Amino acid sequence: MLPASLDEAVTALAASPAAVPVAGGTDLMGAVNAGLLRPMALIGLGRINELRGWQYQDGTAQLGAGLTHARMGRPDFAALMPALAEAARSAGPPQVRNAGTLGGNIVTADPAGDTLPVLAALEATVTLVGPEGGREVPVSHLLTGLDPMRGGELLGYVRVPLLHAPQVFLKATGRTGPSRAVASVALVLDPGRRAVRCAVGAVAPVPLRPLEAEQWVSGCIDWDGDRAIDPAAAAAFGEYVAAACVPEPQPAGLPDSQPDGMEGGPAAAAARLRRTVSVLARRALGRALK
Amino acid sequence: MTDAVTTNAVTSNAVTSPYGTDPQEPGSELSGFGGADGSPRVSYLLRVNGVDRPVNGAWIGESLLYVLRERLGLAGAKGGCDQGECGACSVQLDGQLTAACLVPAALAADSEIRTVEGLAADGSASDVQRALAESGAVQCGYCIPGMAMAVHDLLERNHQPTELQAREALCGNLCRCTGYQGALAAIEKVAQSRAEAAEAAEAAAEAAAEAADAADAAGPGEQAETADAADPDSLADDSLADDLAGEQFGRDEYPGDGYPVDEYPVYSDVEIPGQQQGEAQHIDHHHPDHHHPEPQADPLFGPMDGLNTEQPPAEQQYAYPVYAQQPQPEPYQAGFQPQAYPQAEYPLPGTQPPGAPEGAEPGVYVLPHQGTHQGTHQNTHAPEAGA
Ligand SMILES: Cc1cc2nc3c(=O)[nH]c(=O)nc-3n(C[C@H](O)[C@H](O)[C@H](O)COP(=O)(O)OP(=O)(O)OC[C@H]3O[C@@H](n4cnc5c(N)ncnc54)[C@H](O)[C@@H]3O)c2cc1C
Ligand code: FES
Ligand code: FES
Repeated sequence: MLPASLDEAVTALAASPAAVPVAGGTDLMGAVNAGLLRPMALIGLGRINELRGWQYQDGTAQLGAGLTHARMGRPDFAALMPALAEAARSAGPPQVRNAGTLGGNIVTADPAGDTLPVLAALEATVTLVGPEGGREVPVSHLLTGLDPMRGGELLGYVRVPLLHAPQVFLKATGRTGPSRAVASVALVLDPGRRAVRCAVGAVAPVPLRPLEAEQWVSGCIDWDGDRAIDPAAAAAFGEYVAAACVPEPQPAGLPDSQPDGMEGGPAAAAARLRRTVSVLARRALGRALK
Repeated sequence: MTDAVTTNAVTSNAVTSPYGTDPQEPGSELSGFGGADGSPRVSYLLRVNGVDRPVNGAWIGESLLYVLRERLGLAGAKGGCDQGECGACSVQLDGQLTAACLVPAALAADSEIRTVEGLAADGSASDVQRALAESGAVQCGYCIPGMAMAVHDLLERNHQPTELQAREALCGNLCRCTGYQGALAAIEKVAQSRAEAAEAAEAAAEAAAEAADAADAAGPGEQAETADAADPDSLADDSLADDLAGEQFGRDEYPGDGYPVDEYPVYSDVEIPGQQQGEAQHIDHHHPDHHHPEPQADPLFGPMDGLNTEQPPAEQQYAYPVYAQQPQPEPYQAGFQPQAYPQAEYPLPGTQPPGAPEGAEPGVYVLPHQGTHQGTHQNTHAPEAGA
């Protein structure tokens, strides 16, 4: 029930396919407590030390799926993967960050999962390990279901490029204190390819990449100089991203109040969300280019 | 086997049990082996506050909180939400503060568990517990066991927390009564008294060393060194606090980046139009006896139903975990075609989104709906002019 290695865990899962793997339990136990899930057996991943650390591999970092949010938030990790660290620092209260893991965050694939837009912007890949061995899948394919996890597979590692350039994660929540994102933006610079990569989280079932806006803005940056950008262009980038990721607020035909008495109907809500995304994207760009 | 039956009977009668009877199978008889649905039962040892406690015939899905309270009789940790939101169930698991309601108890079998019962030495409250009581942090008291664990955890890692660090350490512990000022005061008080005690201990040790030195007729150079060590400015605690500032609490220390704390963008970064101050209504039910059937007017924020949109004056913006509720934007109502892509069959690994194109580029989210709503070519905002 508490395998000590990834191989053991895969074998255990093959032996009892009804078993549910559990890492930190912060997503899983919420469902169990709410009566949504009655696992017949659990396979605890918390004792697999190889999954709890990370190492370098030719220009990339290979992150264990069992890295906790608390661990990812620490300065040594943040120095290399600042946006991922920032996402981890904002993912819930300390009690949850001490337990919740990177792997659990990806497998749960909650729309508001905070590491997901960062991984999308970094174009990370994940290693899925099954009885037949491991395979590498782009995280975007996993999240969109283009290349889903197969039965008996476990998420072993996440590979992210080491870009040695500013990376920003910003998150808007509905309240002060730790809570899930209403919208989030991850933005990374890839000076080698002269590219800006950006992903917007929480506004759709999976993180969205505004590809055209990325392309446009990387053309506006003075890559060889001090990487400065005109503030007006940064603001335009924000609008561009928001327009690409949040659907047009419907102008007419919808009631402008919600049944629960909240101010503003769906159109107002969409406009608000657009504005939020646009501000986040603008600030993220500004901070990355600071 | 009889054991399993009896424990199950207890389980199903317990008010707080999320596991008692299976809603899917009302009235189904609990059979000897396994639970109502034949789910396996296990026995294991839990090491709680240094004592090995056997747990027999427990369903594998039982949370540590449930097992502590209902099977081991340790009712210190409280159940507020069973969702990790309220922190009333906080315990330390191998030295890490964790929400016990989110830990499968069976998987904690070889961990060191520390609960609030383990804080009190010889039956007398710990310094943190006393300080909480003395600082007015306790009203109904429901949040206090979890709060005490969180404060202990904080002060073990960070002997001189700043106010921001203290607030962040408490941000997972909801208190519906007090407004957190008492708890913050308690943290300060304990930090101070522990520092004083450490200083006194150091001074005593120094005096002892000096006496020994005098007896040994040691050279003056060493004496100067000892005096240096006692200088409050060079207290090891200070540097430890600095070291840990970024480690545990994150956002005020950010290597390679110079943003000051208040510019740090995680929590209240964006001013959201229509943002509303309110309260965490979702934990109103956190004690069966304290259930408020009607939303209560809040003296500071006004009535709960007509949430007022004003920020409270600065002096009333008390501790960190005060909640501003934002009506959650629902983008999908605005013609985003949510019906076409119901979430259940969409992003979950293991399913194929309807109509997903084949062989899309790695890292490129070519979603079926992107063609329509991400059509930035028709977008009037397209800022060519900005280039
Ligand atoms: C109060 C609270 C606040 C939260 N706030 C945030 C937030 O702000 N942002 C955010 O992103 N998340 C948040 N979360 C969600 C949660 O903490 C994260 O999603 C966390 O990363 C989940 O990790 P875990 O290890 O606990 O997953 P678990 O609960 O252990 O597992 C989740 C799912 O993933 C599967 N799984 C886990 N690891 C593997 C693996 N290696 N291979 C295959 N399958 C695996 C499990 O079977 C399970 O189905 C919050 C949760 C709580 C309770
Ligand atoms: S009961 Fe565990 S956090 Fe609320
Ligand atoms: S004293 Fe904190 S909830 Fe009542």
